[in-house]
Amino acid sequence: MPASTPETIYQLKDVAKTRSSNGYTFGLRVPSLRICRGEKIALIGESGCGKSTLLDLLAFILQPSDAGDFSFCAGAAGTVDIGAAWRRQKRNRLAALRKAHMGYVMQTGGLLPYLNIYDNINLSRRMLGMPADDTVENLARELGLVRHLHKLPDALSTGERQRVAIGRALAHRPAIIIADEPTASVDPFAAEKIMSLFIGMVEERNITVIVASHAWRHIKQLGLRRLAHHTRRSADGRMIETVVSG
Amino acid sequence: MLRQQRHSLALASRDYFHEWRISICFVLALAAVLGPMLVLFGLKFGIVGAMVEELVEDPLKREVRPVGSGRYDRAWIDRLRKREDVDFIVPRIRSIASTLSVSSEQAGRILQFEVIPSAPGDPLLDPQRPAPSGLDKVVLSASAAKKLQVAAGDRVEGSLLRQYNGRRERVSLPLQVAAIAPATAFSRDGLFASVALVEALEDFRDGHAVPALDWEGVTVVRDRHYTGFRLYARSIYDVAALQDSFERSGIDVRTRAADIESVRRMDRTLSAIYWAIALIGLGGFSLSLGASLWANVDRKRRELSVLRLVGFHTGEIILFPVVQGLYTAFFGWALACGIYGAAAWSINFMLAPQLESTQKICRLLPEHYAAALAITAGASMLAAILAGIRAARVEPSEGLREI
Repeated sequence: MPASTPETIYQLKDVAKTRSSNGYTFGLRVPSLRICRGEKIALIGESGCGKSTLLDLLAFILQPSDAGDFSFCAGAAGTVDIGAAWRRQKRNRLAALRKAHMGYVMQTGGLLPYLNIYDNINLSRRMLGMPADDTVENLARELGLVRHLHKLPDALSTGERQRVAIGRALAHRPAIIIADEPTASVDPFAAEKIMSLFIGMVEERNITVIVASHAWRHIKQLGLRRLAHHTRRSADGRMIETVVSG
Repeated sequence: MLRQQRHSLALASRDYFHEWRISICFVLALAAVLGPMLVLFGLKFGIVGAMVEELVEDPLKREVRPVGSGRYDRAWIDRLRKREDVDFIVPRIRSIASTLSVSSEQAGRILQFEVIPSAPGDPLLDPQRPAPSGLDKVVLSASAAKKLQVAAGDRVEGSLLRQYNGRRERVSLPLQVAAIAPATAFSRDGLFASVALVEALEDFRDGHAVPALDWEGVTVVRDRHYTGFRLYARSIYDVAALQDSFERSGIDVRTRAADIESVRRMDRTLSAIYWAIALIGLGGFSLSLGASLWANVDRKRRELSVLRLVGFHTGEIILFPVVQGLYTAFFGWALACGIYGAAAWSINFMLAPQLESTQKICRLLPEHYAAALAITAGASMLAAILAGIRAARVEPSEGLREI
């Protein structure tokens, strides 16, 4: 690795998303954000502050209302103009980017109830036509899931399901993993364990990670860069705007 | 690319069978509508089919009989025979002359039989068996053969009487039974004879000479006229037109056109009723199928969003409800066929005593099953594609947050 500036994965300039409901307007504005390969980003804040909105924008599952410059660069594919892809409604193109370069850990697992643990972890690998090697077994060993591999998600505890979700996000060796409150649904003790296991595995594989969490305390010691953001309310309280940059 | 579709297909199947309870509900709901529709169609097809078959099979329904006696010459009969819509025609003689006393060694008594002019191709006779021919080979009706206790190949003795020049004259006529007519063809005691033999009988009774049989009398008949004819139309559908044509030329005929028309009207009425019910049923069926697939997509929004999130394309997402809809269509159809099979069997079994052995009141042809499957699969595919497009339109970020 040359000592020069590390490779940029996300480059956002003047990207915004506004949503209205029941007379309230929620806005997220990103004047400038750059995320580099291998970075570990933390997005900390109370629920409703716009964390999920930012994660959805970064995962290309939410169309920005405004995208000055929104580019994504993942290895061989070169730089992709995400703003343009949305404007042209190239949803399949965005899905393909996600499939190849991204892992996503949801708040509540998001496992497919009809697939056993092995197939759930293997989902993205299979979609990408990756060979059936021992990757899934190795991940399961690290995550302490070996004895569950042939069970359905229903048979697992919440914490175990979150670990399966982490395994699924890692299995196809994506460039980025986005995790939206991955430990919010488990008890604090387990949460701390899962989070450090997760960050450790990500670090080991040199994967860029973006984690949203409402508890900074848990992840402070894991060495994540915290994105600065502040939330403003209009005088009548009907408009909430969050500005993120970093 | 194909790998991806196979993967989608496998996932959709896993999902369908994983949720077997709900899948069974869908299948039952489908079969509950389709099954009775098949039974209904089977009944309509069976009943009308049996009636039409009876009409087509029964030559009596195709008969065109002149009322009273007329005066027809051979050329006129021959002209009729050439008509496209005429299957069979032979001339008839005066009915007073068309009887014959017949006896057999077995029966030992003399019976009076009606003589029916016939020829090869007579619809009343079995085409596989010999037809009456020459002046000695005749076909007996089933009841006549029974009374004489004779079988095909046996010999019988005909005899006829005339008052001629104030004297009673009797001649005998050795005959051979060429065949026995089917019991359904002619219910009375009858003897089917060639036109030549019938003419000979009439000539003898009229006092004419019949050289071929060495019967004496005055002059041989040259300019022959007939009083009637036996005519059968080519099919039941030609009867009404033939009747019209006869009536236009002043010949009063009697046909079963009214019967035929009533069966055809019944067919049309039953068809109309059936199609009305079928259309309503099909509408309800499509709605119920569409609603269930639609609701299912709604229920699975989160799972479909997960698939979208891990990078499934729009087409692969749409494939999901389509594959599952096709499963429902196929299993629902199979179950409906089962329901139909059981219902048809019971209906046919219950009504068996009133039917002829081969007749079925409720029946379907293989193509009907195939059509039912095609319609069901088509309707579910349409509903599933609509539901799938809706599923693919959902922004994954919306679906994901719903728990």
